Amino acid sequence: MRLPTRDRIIETRSATKRFASSKGLFGRSVSVGAVNEVSLDIRRGETFSIVGESGCGKSTLARLLVRLLPASEGAVLYEGNDISSLSEPEMRRLRKDLQFVFQDPFSSLNPRMTVGALIEEPMKVHTSLSRKERRLKVADLLKKVGLRAAFANRYPHEFSGGQRQRIGIARALASGPKVIVGDEPVSALDVSVQAQVINLLEDLKAEFDLTLILIAHDLAVIRHMSDRIAVMYLGEIVELAPNDPLYDKPLHPYTQALMRAIPIASPHGRSMDVSLTGDVPSPLAPPSGCRFHPRCPHATSLCGTEKPALTDVANARMVACHHWEKIAENSQGSVREPPRSENAEKRFALFREISQRQEPVTAATETQIKLSERSHNNA
Amino acid sequence: MSKVTDPNVTPVLIVENLALRFKGAPANIIDGISFAVCPGETLCIVGESGCGKSVTALSLMGLLPRSVAQVMSGTAMFGDRDLLELSQRAMADLRGNTISMIFQEPMTSLNPSYRIGDQIAEVVLRHKHVTRAEARQRALQMLDRVKIPAASSRLDDYPHELSGGMRQRVMIAMALANDPAVLIADEPTTALDVTIQAQIIDLVEELQKETGTALVMITHDLGVVAEIADRVCVMYAGHMVEDGPVASIFDDPQHPYTIGLMSSVPSVGPRSGRLATIGGMVPAIDQMPSGCRFTPRCPFAQANCEISTPPLDELGPSHRAACHYAPLETMFPETVLQEAGS
Repeated sequence: MRLPTRDRIIETRSATKRFASSKGLFGRSVSVGAVNEVSLDIRRGETFSIVGESGCGKSTLARLLVRLLPASEGAVLYEGNDISSLSEPEMRRLRKDLQFVFQDPFSSLNPRMTVGALIEEPMKVHTSLSRKERRLKVADLLKKVGLRAAFANRYPHEFSGGQRQRIGIARALASGPKVIVGDEPVSALDVSVQAQVINLLEDLKAEFDLTLILIAHDLAVIRHMSDRIAVMYLGEIVELAPNDPLYDKPLHPYTQALMRAIPIASPHGRSMDVSLTGDVPSPLAPPSGCRFHPRCPHATSLCGTEKPALTDVANARMVACHHWEKIAENSQGSVREPPRSENAEKRFALFREISQRQEPVTAATETQIKLSERSHNNA
Repeated sequence: MSKVTDPNVTPVLIVENLALRFKGAPANIIDGISFAVCPGETLCIVGESGCGKSVTALSLMGLLPRSVAQVMSGTAMFGDRDLLELSQRAMADLRGNTISMIFQEPMTSLNPSYRIGDQIAEVVLRHKHVTRAEARQRALQMLDRVKIPAASSRLDDYPHELSGGMRQRVMIAMALANDPAVLIADEPTTALDVTIQAQIIDLVEELQKETGTALVMITHDLGVVAEIADRVCVMYAGHMVEDGPVASIFDDPQHPYTIGLMSSVPSVGPRSGRLATIGGMVPAIDQMPSGCRFTPRCPFAQANCEISTPPLDELGPSHRAACHYAPLETMFPETVLQEAGS
């Protein structure tokens, strides 16, 4: 089911990305299909997530969507215009709208630039703001991401992983984007810091009317943040669905296996199940027909010969499986977390209540300020 | 459920009041660490980066040079021997033999220039009086047990020829080759995808059932803890803040850090509002607060928290927490009333 044109902010049509990979001593060149004929629409203002295991092509797809990588074949449209054929200067103008937050907050910030210069740089390129206006906006952005304006004069190495990710987010916001792509934006962070950054991304998305595209492998983070989710396997989308229906009743056997493998954070829900044996096959030689068929418990001879198309099924869902109706009847993949105990609930509520009463953002920032100041003075 | 509470089972490893300090550091990197594991039991040590969970493991394995990390106090009794007192040579006889360890990153812990069969056989040759052929046979048998398909053809593979999941299987084969009494696993599944993680955890549990090895699993993932642990030990900034049977930790969490950690993990169930967060971050070693180390980030902190370190108090059957104000709802009753009223 396609979205109406005015609702689509980004769409891809049979987008394919191949990388050259040389094999053997004399470099007989072979190409690897990282993303294979992906067609999808992203709705303005939604949080769209792409999940899958390592090597499934989710990061490549994310880069195609904002043309950090050019598609080998097919088209990528932003606001209805094909961006795959734009010239570099034209693309540079569009960069203002399409920003990216990277996974590793340590390697994605230039260590020789101050935080202020890092955040100011996109404004220099994309806006006509004066030097003074830019400085003011840097201070403003730093505050928005929960840091102190005075941090602008410091260097990235002076900050923790969580703070650096906040700086990366401030930098992405600096050009006034419409779309932000986050490639595993919280997976390098510790749990408690991860929660801070997740909340921050959600707040900023609402405040700046952003469309958020998230790449992640953590299915709990995806569940918490997404409106719609695409599940990828070996370069192809195997299922695309709104959040709750996907987790309640996954249709594709791969999605089901993925859901069953999630460890549930409750000792009363020990359910983790090994339904998927073996590893993801090499994308150098993807299996014929349905790429999942060698690992699929439901595979028939048809699956080995004919590729199932990603087709519409009920309720805005799409699935690429020959046998999804049969499989869905006894869907075993749904994720259920047993209810928490009364004591746990009570104390979680208490924790939330008291930490909110202390204005969480300021409290967090104050501590950071104190700590950073101390380390700054020591240095 | 837990074997420690059963008086008929003797723990195979008993760590008591372990404190360690890096040379020149102003504070102990870990302090007051006490736990015990019984044969066949799984103890999970959980905490975020910098909480000292890996340092604890490394010190037990004798992998921290004494010139760098000084033992300030404590014992680690393995049978009738104190691991902290053993000479390097005596420790080398134990390591990989009766006590072994697997690491997070299987690529960097396997030697890239040796075949995997030889690497497993080496562990056997080092500790058992066997011939090369017998050691190789054992390596093959172990590869089979960790369910590497077509094990005999894999024996001569190099680590780079294997996937991440397969490499971790090889590490497990190596660690279990001499049927150790204790296996320490430091984030063994963190680098793996969920489906592969499920396979590895399943494998470890199965092998543990067969061999009765005591497992000390270090992880930051509460999902993995809930899945595999019998007992849980929660660490924060080098201190143990809570320990107890797994059901009791999840159903009756007592320490504000445990509570904060649990409520800041997104659930895989339907969304229930914003995530709770723990403000700030883990203090660096030179900025350790005196008293309870969680004080600067604790929403419940009171004046005396900064001054005195709370002891690990028994709050339930073999369930202890180090907080002056546990259980929290009895100490902060007025908030509960407001919560119920709103």
